[in-house]
Amino acid sequence: MNALSRIMTGAIGARTRRAPAHTDESLGERSARIGGILGGFLRRTSRTGFVLYALALGAALGLASADFATSGGYPVGGTTIGAWTAWAKTGAVDADPYSRAVNARRGEIPLAIGEGLLLTAATDDAGRRLDAACTYAVGGAVPPARAWTLAIGGRGAVDPATKPIREAFTSTEVLREADDRFVITIGQEVQSGNWLPMPHPRGPVRLALRLYDTPVAASVGSLDRSTVPAITRLGCK
Amino acid sequence: MSTRSRFILATLCALVLAGIVHIVTVRAIPYFAEGDAFSLARKSESLDHPLRIHSLAVPGTPTPPQGWLPVPDPAVAVGVCAYDLDDGPMRVSARVSSLNLSIAVHGRKGAFYAVTDQAAVRGSLDLVIMTRAQFDEALASADENQVNRDVRIVAPEREGFAVVRVIAGLPSQNAMANEAVDAVSCSIDAPDEPTDANAKPDG
Repeated sequence: MNALSRIMTGAIGARTRRAPAHTDESLGERSARIGGILGGFLRRTSRTGFVLYALALGAALGLASADFATSGGYPVGGTTIGAWTAWAKTGAVDADPYSRAVNARRGEIPLAIGEGLLLTAATDDAGRRLDAACTYAVGGAVPPARAWTLAIGGRGAVDPATKPIREAFTSTEVLREADDRFVITIGQEVQSGNWLPMPHPRGPVRLALRLYDTPVAASVGSLDRSTVPAITRLGCK
Repeated sequence: MSTRSRFILATLCALVLAGIVHIVTVRAIPYFAEGDAFSLARKSESLDHPLRIHSLAVPGTPTPPQGWLPVPDPAVAVGVCAYDLDDGPMRVSARVSSLNLSIAVHGRKGAFYAVTDQAAVRGSLDLVIMTRAQFDEALASADENQVNRDVRIVAPEREGFAVVRVIAGLPSQNAMANEAVDAVSCSIDAPDEPTDANAKPDG
């Protein structure tokens, strides 16, 4: 009872004290008072405010950069050989944390070192981005492997209704010349020989060369330009 | 300390913190991911053959359902077998056919073993994935006079999955490649002294 009466008198006292402030102050006095309160608030809480600022900025930057680094392809860990990049260690136990995070986010099962090797290319030999509007010749040598496949893919899912008749060539089905070399022509228009249609009418495309049961997976450094297929741009629409 | 220098100090602290958050997040993603191969492969744990996650299209049959591999090789059929070594050693056996077959064993951290059908002895490839304790037990109880053709692999972790890949060199081999993945058996190795309770065939 005593406590209740004290709260009630306190509430009444607060109301009576606040009431004149609302009635008597002019606009200038009020803004000055608000400014003073704000300044005092900043002075009193500046330490807390800066700590909160540092925490918020740190968390936002850290999370955003981690998302950016792991949302696309592998950011690090590849070996560049001409236009191709070999990804030997993305599936290994000692893979770098970025590759493991990318694999986890995509649900990818990368090729193990004893199983095969993945090479990707997003540019031609001159360094220009592979474009679906152009025609390319891919051919020459392939590193030693028991079997290989050369696949093409674009960004985004392929519409099942317009699925191209062919997405890849395997080492068994590719047509070879008399000297055992081959040329795969990639383009929108039908070509004679080994024709790989473009998966999309426009936009960037990527090539993936997968070598199965290959000794080079353990020694990617031994690969050079002459042992991987050359990618030559023949022309653009 | 002026407000300006406090602000600069706070920003520098934020950058250092951002670096720490970045590293911790990237390292934590594999453990918290729900759409990763390790988690998705768990569905195959109750099967005695690989769960096909990428099937090759065979003309005249319905289009195979899309698996969860982001960019699968269009000429390779893929299956996964998840294991939990608490249930016993995992035996993966494959028969060699004319198609190239490879088996890789993945833990949470990545592939720790891979073998192709070239390692097969007399047309069959037998992998036994076991823990260190199970491996020691198998060595201790091994019969000296009996030739063992199993490839024994000590797994670094209790859980993981085996991946079976079969390459169809020609589109006409697609059906064969799908069947070759299904024909691989993934079974829990029965204990050496089977009792009536657990002597039921599981492979």
